[in-house]
Amino acid sequence: MSNAARTNWLRELIRKPFFWGVIAIFALLALNVLKDPNYLAITVNPVNGNLVGNVIDILRASAPILMIAVGMSLVIATGGIDLSVGSVMAVSGAVAMVFMKDAGQSGSVGVALGAIGLALLVSALLGAINGVLVAYIGLQPFISTLIMMLAGRGIAKVITEGQNTSATNDPFRWIANGFVIGLPVVFLLAIAIVIVVGLVVRRSALGLMIEAIGINPKASRMAGIKPSGLLLTVYILSAVLAGVAGIMSVGTVMTVDVSRTGYQMELDAILAVVIGGTSLAGGKFSIGGAVVGALLIATLDKTIVFLGISSSATPAFKAIVIVVLCLLQSDRVRSWFVQRRKPPQLRPESLPAKPKQEVAA
Amino acid sequence: MSVQRRFTKFLGLAAVGALTVGLAACSSSGGSGDNADAGDLTTVGFVAVGPEGAWREANEKNIQETFTEDAGFELKYAPATNLDQKSQIDAFTSFVDEGVDVILLSATEASGWEDSLARAQEAEIPVILLDRGIDPDDPSLYITRIAPDNVEVASAVGDWAVEQFPDGGNYITLEGPAGVGVVNERNEGWDSAVDGSDLVEVAAQTANWSAEEGKSVTETLLKANNNNIQLIFAQNDEMGLGAAQAVEEAGLTPGVDVKIATIDGTLAAMEALADGQLSFVHEYNPLFGETALDVVNKTLAGESVESYIIVPSEAFDSAEAAQAVLADRQY
Amino acid sequence: MSEALPIVEMRDISIEFPGVKALDGVDFRLFQGEVHALMGENGAGKSTLIKALTGVYKIDGGSIVVAGQERQFHGTRDAQSAGVSTVYQEVNLVTNLSIGENVMLGHEIRGAFGVNWRATHAAATEALARLGLEHLDTHKPLSTLSIAMQQLVAISRAMAIKAKVLILDEPTSSLDAAEVEGLFRVMRSLRDQGVAILFVSHFLDQIYAISDRLTILRNGRYEGEYLTRDLDRHALISKMIGKDLGALSSLGGNRRVDDRDYAAEEPLLTAKGLGRRGSIEPTDLDVHRGEVVGFAGLLGSGRTELARLLYGADRADEGEVTLHGKRVDIKSPADGLVKRIAFSTENRRDEGIIADLTVRENMILAVQAERGWARPIPRKEQDELVEKYITALNVRPSDPNRLIKNLSGGNQQKVLLGRWLATNPELLILDEPTRGIDVGAKAEIQEAVAELAESGVSVVFISSELEEVVRLSERIVVLKDHQKIGEIVNGPEITAQHVVDVIAAHGVEAAAESGIIDAEGQHDIAASHPSESSPADAHAYAATEEES
Repeated sequence: MSNAARTNWLRELIRKPFFWGVIAIFALLALNVLKDPNYLAITVNPVNGNLVGNVIDILRASAPILMIAVGMSLVIATGGIDLSVGSVMAVSGAVAMVFMKDAGQSGSVGVALGAIGLALLVSALLGAINGVLVAYIGLQPFISTLIMMLAGRGIAKVITEGQNTSATNDPFRWIANGFVIGLPVVFLLAIAIVIVVGLVVRRSALGLMIEAIGINPKASRMAGIKPSGLLLTVYILSAVLAGVAGIMSVGTVMTVDVSRTGYQMELDAILAVVIGGTSLAGGKFSIGGAVVGALLIATLDKTIVFLGISSSATPAFKAIVIVVLCLLQSDRVRSWFVQRRKPPQLRPESLPAKPKQEVAA
Repeated sequence: MSVQRRFTKFLGLAAVGALTVGLAACSSSGGSGDNADAGDLTTVGFVAVGPEGAWREANEKNIQETFTEDAGFELKYAPATNLDQKSQIDAFTSFVDEGVDVILLSATEASGWEDSLARAQEAEIPVILLDRGIDPDDPSLYITRIAPDNVEVASAVGDWAVEQFPDGGNYITLEGPAGVGVVNERNEGWDSAVDGSDLVEVAAQTANWSAEEGKSVTETLLKANNNNIQLIFAQNDEMGLGAAQAVEEAGLTPGVDVKIATIDGTLAAMEALADGQLSFVHEYNPLFGETALDVVNKTLAGESVESYIIVPSEAFDSAEAAQAVLADRQY
Repeated sequence: MSEALPIVEMRDISIEFPGVKALDGVDFRLFQGEVHALMGENGAGKSTLIKALTGVYKIDGGSIVVAGQERQFHGTRDAQSAGVSTVYQEVNLVTNLSIGENVMLGHEIRGAFGVNWRATHAAATEALARLGLEHLDTHKPLSTLSIAMQQLVAISRAMAIKAKVLILDEPTSSLDAAEVEGLFRVMRSLRDQGVAILFVSHFLDQIYAISDRLTILRNGRYEGEYLTRDLDRHALISKMIGKDLGALSSLGGNRRVDDRDYAAEEPLLTAKGLGRRGSIEPTDLDVHRGEVVGFAGLLGSGRTELARLLYGADRADEGEVTLHGKRVDIKSPADGLVKRIAFSTENRRDEGIIADLTVRENMILAVQAERGWARPIPRKEQDELVEKYITALNVRPSDPNRLIKNLSGGNQQKVLLGRWLATNPELLILDEPTRGIDVGAKAEIQEAVAELAESGVSVVFISSELEEVVRLSERIVVLKDHQKIGEIVNGPEITAQHVVDVIAAHGVEAAAESGIIDAEGQHDIAASHPSESSPADAHAYAATEEES
């Protein structure tokens, strides 16, 4: 009995799209532990009471990816894609840095808030341009956001006059480097934002409508959904989240590097979403999955450095992990897997298992 | 439906087209400072890299400020679009067709220049390479290459390191993107100097020239080695500045527990050196406009010049040295 | 003609898809030098039969004999090499290539050094000349030609590979009258050269104008093969919809006897000259409160197109709509819903259900869309709403959290009906709500429609099943060839046959275009007479053909 229940529970878990993402995170952590048994150790810094450890570093590094992955998962759910998030990060960072550099007053909370507000406003504007191009002009999302991806870096360069710009502002720096109750602010902030977005999307009808549009745009229109406003909202949201990611990213070193900040981050975000089990074809999305995906990518990046894999082998290592993961997620490969190791006595259970699967889905 | 889709597709193409045209227009407008009265001026075509970072900015600004009309030159500045080599080759070709007097070339990529250079040679237009070399390096195709020497600069940093740590120590290297020429040269110079000393390289990782990645990589490498690192060699200033922050956050003191050496010598690095965050900054001198001017004049007068002119770069090994130059640092 | 051996003979063909028998023991013969029309309603199995012949589908039973040899085609290429070529509804050519390249694509003439373009273009010109198209420059891109000319190029392409059998699947659907006549000229010339042509069209006039013989399918079964001249329109339509005249007469008039005087009431909705180029000619229409108006006509007659304009699914480019006496402009489905109009599509899969969402989500979607995403329907209200319609419409299984794609077609349809009813419509448009669903669900939906009308909701009811339309509607709007051709006030004496008569009569009377029905629902069938108008007119041709 307990054996049967456990098998069912396990089966359900395996069916969760981000199950293999979680497994991969643990596998990578285990790999690090093999190299250094103390890898997972978390100590308390006696001076300031902050928690210190590799895991904490991973959480910090995952914050910007979390932001853009959540935005990206909504965009992808509508059947679109947002290639401009990396560039929007650079623009947002550039706006914040230039604003603070010009304002001076390194201790001022007001200046920090001003910089954040302005950066998010500019990000929202770029998102609105994406949204208008997609929803009202009818350009393909790939093209519209590709244009914004190219234009965004240009805009960031114009804002900083081509220079990598640094500024000093302690409250702003605190966002990326500070600690609250021993935990990094940037991660707490990211999780809070994810929860808020998740609540807004799932508690309102936004999630339902985004999925409806993504699954069947024609039928959604016939059901009276006006896709334009919805698409605009989603692209703006994605850009604002990218703006937040930009702030987190430049905040760590208080420098915006117009050619490197957010560079190729759109790919990380897309990967995180895919690892989380959202189909690139649109439709059903999972914010929890995107969180797992973002954490996995951060873990992977950190693991590569920790294991000392040489720079030239990094892309290959990353690619292998992701390919294996995608293979494990593919229904076809998974069905092989299940068929091969399906013991005969499981047969009678396959009947009650079915309705449960529906509930889970 | 299909008509609409086709229209959408068309719009997309049109937008991309407009963008391309726009970019092309931008890049050409920079150089077209023609005036009617260019007859007795020497025209110089500058195939440049364009926006890349602080060092490049200083370098190209310096060239532009040297070859002025007052000095008897008309400089046509053609930066690459998005660091794209093809746009550079196009600009180069049109300079040859125009028949400028001299071409200055800072190639974004080293390979693939033979045909273009041969064409310039046919048209008897001298070409001077600035900063970046070409590959395969055939000095018969150009007059000279003017550049600071990466190998030499990096080996100077290595020499300083060996001197600082006579009893040896652990160090990490923060590299630029794997496979780039500059990275290889800086590695070569460093290795030649450090070889045989007691310094131990515990890790070498790319941080992609970026401060943010420099910080993130350093943070992890410190943990991986239980903070047992005494020296960080950052191949550019930005990565070194990021590393300094990681060192501080790990509860160590830059300059005391961990010494950080960088290359480039930008203003931000000089400030950090003056501040004690960095311990050694070797300039990679971008200001060689005067040298270039001298070479151009000599070439036009028919005199011969060396096929490789190394621009001298200065090393700064103390806060005081940095303080001294901070006031009139141009970049 | 029939003494010769047929070039194609399909015997006892059966094809089964999961759960459906698409073809059940169908016979089909095609002779050299004839144009053979394949007739049947939508879903009767015409295209399945064509796909069986061209090797797209594998047959589960029966045999296919081509030119005296039994064949099992694996794919179209196989069929082509046996001399069976197809030109589909959507022209299947590469518009960027030249005309000549398109004609010869895959059959270019090769010389020692690759393709010999000169010879290839010469062969293309020759193939085009067979169709009287020698004036075309084979070097010009195909995109310079009209759709009609492209169609002819597609036929030349089929002829270039020496096809003995040419299949034309709805080639006329996007052509105007003159272009149709041009196509027919080509078809006749090919027929005279001995080619066997299989022709599918929804336009009866064209069938009578061009075909020599026809085979009728119904519900995947063989209904019979006839010489076209032996079968008049009435008989043809009756056989297609499967009710003989006697049975048709006994049906109808089940609708409650109505003594309302609609003329005295202000209509709920009035359309004046409502039309959209290419889909429906300008049309006038009144719908009163609590009235069921049926739209009758064959597929492609414009019945769906008209309904879509009323809902805003397509935008009208002329005419106006008044609702409650006020002029309204309905630009989108969202507008339609706000104006209390709901539209249930005939295309359930593509435009109706959201497959990966649950029954609950599908049902509340329209109401939610109307409120906007920021005002979600509270869970309790959702439960009440979903519960109400699941019970009222008897949706099975009654689990609201099941994905709609896992329900049967009939139950999906009920969920969609629930979606529209939940919006409290004043006018509900149902386009083929009973197609492809089982008898039980069909009856339940019909019942629901009658109850709705009783409660004051106006209903526009569209169905290919005429007796269903007759049974439910108070008034029947008859459409044909993208226009409204008449209106029948329903009454006990009206049967599906009356509707068939109106549709059939319209084509015969090329001269008298408009509706010919008087108030009692009586109509006179004028004797057919040859028209004096130009021979290029397909209608006129039809009339003469029938005379001979």
